Amino acid sequence: MLEARELTIKYEDRTAVQAVSLMLQPGTVTALIGPNGAGKSTLLRSLNGQLIPTAGLILLNDQPIEQFSRRAIAKQITVVAQEAELRFPITVLEFVLGGRFAWAANSGWGWESERDLQVAKTVLIETDLTDLSGRLMSELSGGERQRAVLARALATEAPVLLLDEPTANLDMSHQAILLSLVRQRCDSLGAAALVVTHDLNLAAQFADIVVLMKAGRSIKVGNTGEVFTAELLREVFDMSVLVDAHPISGVPRVTPVHEVHRAN
Amino acid sequence: MGFVFLGRLHYRTLLWCGIFVLVISALSCTRSTSPSTKTSSNSREITDDAGRLIALPQRVDRVVSLAPNLTEIVFAVGGGESLVGDTTYCDFPAAAQSIEKVGDTLHPSLERIIALRPQVVLVSTASQLEVFTQQLQSHNIAVFVTDPHDLEGVFRSITEVGEIIGKAEQAGILVAKLRERAAAVDSAVKGSPRIRLFYQLSAEPLYTAGRDAFVTDLIKRAGGESVTADVPGAWPKYSAESALAARPDAVILPTGGSMGEGNSNVAEALSKSPAAQHGRVYKINDDHLVRPGPRAVDGLEEMAKALHPEAFK
Amino acid sequence: MTVTVSDTSTAIRLRENRVTLQKTVTACLGLICALGVVVVIAALLGSEKLPVGDTLCSLVSFGTRQCGLTNDQFDILFQIRLPRIFLAAAVGGSLATAGASYQALLRNPLAEPYLLGVSNGAAVGTMLALLFFGKMEWSRPLMAFVGALIATFAVYRLARGKVGASPERLILAGVIVTTFLSSVIVFVTTLMDATRIRSFTFWLLGDLSGATKALLPLAIAISIGGALVLTFNARSLNLLMLGERDAFDLGVEVSRVRTVVFVVASLLVGSSVAASGSVGYVGLVVPHLARLSLGSDNRISIPAAALTGALFVIVADTVARTIIAPRELPVGAITALIGAPLFIYLLKRA
Repeated sequence: MLEARELTIKYEDRTAVQAVSLMLQPGTVTALIGPNGAGKSTLLRSLNGQLIPTAGLILLNDQPIEQFSRRAIAKQITVVAQEAELRFPITVLEFVLGGRFAWAANSGWGWESERDLQVAKTVLIETDLTDLSGRLMSELSGGERQRAVLARALATEAPVLLLDEPTANLDMSHQAILLSLVRQRCDSLGAAALVVTHDLNLAAQFADIVVLMKAGRSIKVGNTGEVFTAELLREVFDMSVLVDAHPISGVPRVTPVHEVHRAN
Repeated sequence: MGFVFLGRLHYRTLLWCGIFVLVISALSCTRSTSPSTKTSSNSREITDDAGRLIALPQRVDRVVSLAPNLTEIVFAVGGGESLVGDTTYCDFPAAAQSIEKVGDTLHPSLERIIALRPQVVLVSTASQLEVFTQQLQSHNIAVFVTDPHDLEGVFRSITEVGEIIGKAEQAGILVAKLRERAAAVDSAVKGSPRIRLFYQLSAEPLYTAGRDAFVTDLIKRAGGESVTADVPGAWPKYSAESALAARPDAVILPTGGSMGEGNSNVAEALSKSPAAQHGRVYKINDDHLVRPGPRAVDGLEEMAKALHPEAFK
Repeated sequence: MTVTVSDTSTAIRLRENRVTLQKTVTACLGLICALGVVVVIAALLGSEKLPVGDTLCSLVSFGTRQCGLTNDQFDILFQIRLPRIFLAAAVGGSLATAGASYQALLRNPLAEPYLLGVSNGAAVGTMLALLFFGKMEWSRPLMAFVGALIATFAVYRLARGKVGASPERLILAGVIVTTFLSSVIVFVTTLMDATRIRSFTFWLLGDLSGATKALLPLAIAISIGGALVLTFNARSLNLLMLGERDAFDLGVEVSRVRTVVFVVASLLVGSSVAASGSVGYVGLVVPHLARLSLGSDNRISIPAAALTGALFVIVADTVARTIIAPRELPVGAITALIGAPLFIYLLKRA
């Protein structure tokens, strides 16, 4: 569905992404992990056309992404980023309905259709925000706002989801709920998701494919078993880790090993 | 290591510069605020139009004028040689243009005035006063305020200026002549009914002459009745509706002097007035109407002749 | 996991929390009616008293019948008063629309034509037109438009840092440009003859008495046209209000919309300033009023701001031309006197 081939993104002074290739297939969740400055967010930002790559190709449904209009891309790819700027009062419902913009008959004008309302309703139920739909976004907690951002992305009905650290402000249970929703989307509707995250265990839990990046390059692409090895992780994160199997689920479990000297 | 050394050097230099500046400004401050103890021959006193008692030397031969009408008065009483400075607006008579300029009427250069060492500065309204009186007085320069509201005020100004610069006799002769002309106008228009007129200072936006404008008195003497004579203020911005509703029989357009070509058409609101319909729109040199000086009598005569042509055959 | 929910009740609840076509049309119709009433009342007020019955009769007939008014009264009503009222409406509508659009695009509730330097840019443009093309009336709105665009461009370039122009940097750059241009205006008007280029009170405080025959229809056309164009971009502006990146992700052509807003807003501000100088506070306060009462959705708040702005300036101008009649005050003084306390009150409410 969405493919990056030998993608290179350079700024004036440095190279953020160097010759990275990845493929997002329908029904899969891909995790993008790596230390700060590895280029993960830059890579994600270029995948929906926001950053122009210096070299390489981005193909959406086997066609170069430059050929698509903004609205066409928005119907295919949606981004779940960190919190939006909320300088004006807006209700949760209005916020979520913003995701239906690309489906409007005219660009820039028009009123929401029945279908738009239906989708919004469904999505609000899925993200457990129905009771809050009339409240102002500014009245919500950080976690609730993040769920609203996800709800808006789901409302676009785009088959490709790009998520940039979506669980940063969520508590444990809502982290799990959010990623389950993404997982479910991919499993039942054939969506493809790319999740940039710092939480390695969450990635291990939900991802089919993991891309490990460091300093702009992709060091390893594979399933969780192949990527989550102590040697690789130590090399990339500059830190000792212990990798074992989760006692209940069996997926790899990563525990950082801190060398802390405590005074006795 | 080297940077620290340079830093200390900079700091010291700055400190000494700062002290130097402070000392210099303290010295100059004290110099200008201490009252001058030198007493020249302050042997006469005159009261100006602001009610202040001004001390003047017996002989005044260096005068600065800060208004065009005062410049005209100085020249008219034969005091042109005493004028050492005037404003950029002072353009009449021609000789006034070659006098040293000290700035414009509202913001003259204090330094220039002081550098010219006049004994008295003539100003036209009290509003210019507060700004620099203190400063000038500390340099032994008197400030004389004139504030003429009507033609009588002009005659008084001429007399006062004449007395100040030692041309009292010429001033007296000039005032007598001007009075004669004004009286001639008075008697000529006495029998005729007053003409209702609108004085248009500018068309867009519409400005007119109010109660406190100098020209309102001239209009009255010329046998006219300004429809805006009771409006408070000197140059109010006027409602177009009221101008239309006033139906003036004549319109005065001050133009051609300092105003140049501007204001040579009636405002839209007056285009259907009786004045416009009967062609009674009169352009008169604006300098003759707004400068309270000798040429105001020219303005008076021009207006009277325009309003009552039959009285001047 | 399926959640069974009563369809109708959720749907009804959903419908209440957003702006619909119905709500917008109702609000706009209401405001248009209010505008009509205000126009009629303003037509009855002025420095010259007109007979109420005859005036209403003549108004209702759209000037085809004189209804007992004298020729002078008829002229006052239809040649002086009504054109001025319509100019006030056009100026108010234009400035409020421009303000609302700037606030949405720049994500800053403080954005307005004066603060962004656009008004003063238009003023300088108009001054140049008066100086060099005095006779050609059309040169004024044209050069005002150009001046406004140049000011917009300058502010945007000044504000652009590495990450794009943040709302705070834009206001800062705007304040720098506008205060600089204010000084230029005062400087030029002090040096030059006021009858040629108007005094600086005209530029900085506004004056609606110059409703000339040629420029009034243009001002009205631009006001309505500009409001329509910006309203048709309302949904894009809704998303832009939440951040340029989010808007881009959701399908908005950000640079196209930005260009449209800057150009159309410059046109709106240019035509207003060319006709009447800079009337302050309208672009700042009126959009806030509209948003507080009707919500931030631009589909309703832009047209509402336009209509409310027209109302506001008609009222302010009516006060300006009647309170010390037959003298007149500059309309910007009244909009400031009303607008500033109103703005403080709105800030407290929000």
